[in-house]
Amino acid sequence: MNRPKLIDENGLRADGRRPDELRKIRMEVGVLEKTDGSAYIEVGGTKIYAGVIGPREVHPKHLELPDRGVINCRYHMASFSVDERKPLGMTRREIELSKVIREALETVVFLEEFPRMMVDIFVEVIQADGGTRTAGITAASLALADAGIPMADLIAATAVGKVEGQLVLDINELEDKYGEADMPVAMAPNLNSIVLLQLNGRMTVEEMFKGLEMAQEAIKKIHGLQTEALRNKYKVEPEGSEV
Amino acid sequence: MQYFRENEVVVPGQLLTDDTRKRGFGTYVRDGKVYASTTGIVKTINGGVRVIPVSGRYKPERGDKVIGIVADVKPNVVEVDLGGEMVAVLKLPERESPPLNLDIGDCIYAEVKSTGLRGILLSNEGLQKIPSGILVTINSAKVPRLIGRKGSMIQLLRRESGCDFWVGRNGLIVINGPDPSSEFAAIAAINLIDREAHKPGLTERAIQLLRKIKGGSGEQA
Repeated sequence: MNRPKLIDENGLRADGRRPDELRKIRMEVGVLEKTDGSAYIEVGGTKIYAGVIGPREVHPKHLELPDRGVINCRYHMASFSVDERKPLGMTRREIELSKVIREALETVVFLEEFPRMMVDIFVEVIQADGGTRTAGITAASLALADAGIPMADLIAATAVGKVEGQLVLDINELEDKYGEADMPVAMAPNLNSIVLLQLNGRMTVEEMFKGLEMAQEAIKKIHGLQTEALRNKYKVEPEGSEV
Repeated sequence: MQYFRENEVVVPGQLLTDDTRKRGFGTYVRDGKVYASTTGIVKTINGGVRVIPVSGRYKPERGDKVIGIVADVKPNVVEVDLGGEMVAVLKLPERESPPLNLDIGDCIYAEVKSTGLRGILLSNEGLQKIPSGILVTINSAKVPRLIGRKGSMIQLLRRESGCDFWVGRNGLIVINGPDPSSEFAAIAAINLIDREAHKPGLTERAIQLLRKIKGGSGEQA
């Protein structure tokens, strides 16, 4: 099959975006009833639900810690979320992403505030079109905030890729598949700290630093959307519009 | 310098003030500045900056009055279920029977004596058994709104519904009314407060709801 052209003569990408342009993002908080906190996110064609349950008693009990809480995280893709066959249970990739997402969130959650308790975080990918771990961690952070879990900061994330030699922001599935590099980045924006950083493929050191700059700018915007989504849940409708 | 408006909804990591002496509940200090640690409404109370959480499971504090159901009676302790998968204990002096002859399934009203690494301990002093009533659960973050400033909201509910209320800071509430329709009105009002605690004009809407339900049942009688 012919390799698709990812960047055209005008410098625009296959989906018409400029190299530094994010896909359309939609976020909503408090979307699931049976969780303590939840969020839904769409980044282009990627759709993800995140749910948080806790703090609650640790099961199995031998995993509890006497002086701090524990976080469990499950990143999982529904079998219908991808084109190719994805087996039902947890693949090695999902196990790895569950770990990196958990480790990123652990850096900002105040675990000492809930000793002997656990917080379960579920990231369920419903439709995958690139950037699932970054959209997933963005949604998980919102769900934690919705659940009232004490945290130092929200976490927002995006991925920078390299396509036909050029750095591009927020790659989709096509660009991920046929591009030369994929670098997911997650940050705690107010702490100005990177909590997740991975790289698939090859980049020079200069490209990596330039990519981090692009990511940082985008992450500020995504963080703004997160704050808006949280505030929207508690906004007051003007009189007369309540049923 | 204050970086927020009073009663604004804040998010974790939001900068609140440079004055670290003002740090209160729901905030943390880093590099000489105070930030919000939870999603909530920010208020200045007695000079301190506090973030009142809008959601989240019950976090017990010393002195809280809670309602629980006795889950187990063991030789040295009585285990009490406070809801939200949280269990507290009452310590029993050696070889004595449980206070108030508590048995599994009994509903009690007690004060939290201590919390922390060794679990939640309830005080034996002031312990009461709630003999009967309807148990309702709301989000514990809404309980202060249910009680109201100096008890104003809960007194209003008592007056308008004609029912008695036991209110636990953990979100468990027991209602006792003269008849089922009064109890129904009380439950409806409590659910309204659970849903809309963050909106203004709640008191008016609660009164209207109670009068509508009780007024309707009055006509049928």
